[in-house]
Amino acid sequence: MDPSEVEFISEKESISIVPNFSLDKIYLIGGDVGPFNPGLQLDVPLWIAVNLKQRQKCRIIAPDWMDVEILEEKKQEEQESKFFTKMPCDYYMEITQLLLQHAPDNIPKADEIRMLVKDIWDLRIAKLRSSIDIFVKSDVTHAMLNYLTLMELNTVRPFLTKALDHIQQLRNNVSYGAALWSSQD
Amino acid sequence: MWSCKLSTGTVYAADKEPRTEHRVLVLVAFEIDALCACKILQYLFQCDHVLYTIVPVTGKQDLERAFVEHSEGVQVCLLMKEDDLENIPEFRDVFLEDESDEDDLDNDSDDPETGQKKRRFDEAALIKRMEKRKWEENRKKILFEYTEFSGYGLSSSLLLYDMAWKMSKDTNDLLWLAIIGVTEQYINQHVERDKYMESIAELQPHVSRLNHRPDDEESSISIDCLKVMFDNELRLTMYRHWSLFESLCHSEYTTCKFKIWTMKGRKRLHEFLADMGLPLVQCKQKFTSMDVSYKESVKDLFKKFQDKYSINEQDLFLPSFHAQYGYKNRYCATDVIYASEAVLQDVEKEYSDSDNFLHTLDLLNRSKTECMEKGIEMAKIQLSALVKQVQSFLDANLVISAGPFLYAFVQEGTPDVKFFAKPINLARLARFTLEAYCCVSRNKKVKTLPFVLGAHHNSDMGTMLVIGIPPVLDKSLKNCFGKAFEQAAATTNSRTLHDFFDSHIIELKSEDRSKFFDALISLLQ
Repeated sequence: MDPSEVEFISEKESISIVPNFSLDKIYLIGGDVGPFNPGLQLDVPLWIAVNLKQRQKCRIIAPDWMDVEILEEKKQEEQESKFFTKMPCDYYMEITQLLLQHAPDNIPKADEIRMLVKDIWDLRIAKLRSSIDIFVKSDVTHAMLNYLTLMELNTVRPFLTKALDHIQQLRNNVSYGAALWSSQD
Repeated sequence: MWSCKLSTGTVYAADKEPRTEHRVLVLVAFEIDALCACKILQYLFQCDHVLYTIVPVTGKQDLERAFVEHSEGVQVCLLMKEDDLENIPEFRDVFLEDESDEDDLDNDSDDPETGQKKRRFDEAALIKRMEKRKWEENRKKILFEYTEFSGYGLSSSLLLYDMAWKMSKDTNDLLWLAIIGVTEQYINQHVERDKYMESIAELQPHVSRLNHRPDDEESSISIDCLKVMFDNELRLTMYRHWSLFESLCHSEYTTCKFKIWTMKGRKRLHEFLADMGLPLVQCKQKFTSMDVSYKESVKDLFKKFQDKYSINEQDLFLPSFHAQYGYKNRYCATDVIYASEAVLQDVEKEYSDSDNFLHTLDLLNRSKTECMEKGIEMAKIQLSALVKQVQSFLDANLVISAGPFLYAFVQEGTPDVKFFAKPINLARLARFTLEAYCCVSRNKKVKTLPFVLGAHHNSDMGTMLVIGIPPVLDKSLKNCFGKAFEQAAATTNSRTLHDFFDSHIIELKSEDRSKFFDALISLLQ
């Protein structure tokens, strides 16, 4: 899957906004949204929130987990644990990216949050890389990873699948060659 | 700009709901103020999903052509251009309902029975005809007075920013664009300082409102957000992006004050810098690499020593704004103007006018920092060419007095001549040359003389650009050359093109140069 596809899927997540216009409930295929009243908070899908923000029609409220202390705790947890820990949101990377791109003025301490999320991401990707390394070297047939998010998965998927294919091919060639040798003897 | 006011009624109707089935045609002149206004409008249209088409126009012919080409299915047409709003004559003085024509037709009918009546008709008709003739003469007089002097009115970007604010769609970005538009008017001497100060005073509360940040830790804002701040800026051209020394040598006021083109002037400048305690080596390197202590004290030092070198504070300092976004990008309004004008008048053969227009729109979009940097480099090149040209004018005594005005021609053949084929650069050269000549000349009268500058425009067609600017001491900035050029061209049958929106710039066939100028001299005696 393309990272843009993953971002697209993540845009379905719900987020709080405060609109500055009024509109009745709208009935969309994906679900109902509204009614919009100026000054009253409500939850909408992320794609609506970003669109409204770009048109200056709302103010976005940062999700609960997008807070410096919570993210620092999470980063600490991730550093200490050998395995992956549960992320506050399955789409933490995409949501952070979208919000900090389109609504940095609505997110308090945006720069620190950006740094913390990037640190968490780096930690997890590093763990993923080392676990793949161990997996390939130890020659096991399957492995189980918990709490991996879709975006992280899709960063390794193309490489991992191709690499394993190559390894399989080389193994097949080796065993074929060995079979030939033994048949010739 | 009344065409813009019309649009506020039609597109954004009374109930503030935009009519999305309408399409708007926006014709934009090649000026930074117009471009800023265009960007503000573009943003507003995008917010409300209004269909629009933007067409850049260089002159009146372009305008007509673009209008005819694009006007299918367009409900509203906007022209982004500064214009003089004062002294617009009354509608009824200029346009007349055509009722009198019917009476004229009746007069031809021959009716013997109502012979008596016909004579009375004749009297009434005669009186009417006399009145019409008087009205026509009055109309001619009013139109002549209206077009006699050309000037500039309210900044269009400020007008549009106001509109955006009233619709509660104003943002810091739109405010910054309005600031750039207003500053451009002052930098290019389209408005007097008082009007500029009024506009600044109007913008100041918006700046405080949108950039107010409480100083506590809790609500610190991301460094990438735009921050606009008020400052009493030093009027040294792009000094933050150049070296202090270069900037002093390329700013109109300091160059003329110190007469940098002479050896004595240069020595005086060195003295000035030494007096202030700024080491020459530091001044000649990039401003950003100067020692922090010098950088911070530059403004105060200038203030302290301005009296000794008789520098006028009003000319050296300009109340203006600067914007900061990201760690590196700190630009004051004048920097942006020089950079964008340089890009707008790019002389590369591969870029057409509309390409330059689009590049400048990109530059005003502040997320494209590489465009801005490129623009600044281009501005440096163009400014150096300009100063060199002024120097050659003065060294070779090419500024000649023709009685009622001064004139000069840019010599063909120099490689920099291509820069002056563009109107904005030409205007800047004219002002700089006039200012410099007035500083150098011993004749007191030169400060009251207007200046006409000619420059090679198009070698294929053999044309040149001629621009006329008002004298140095004339603070009202009213330019009489529009009408004067027209009349001189008419009397000598010179082949001229009065295509530019600014009537004081025209295109003239180089062969008709001498007779045109003779006519101009006799006209302005």
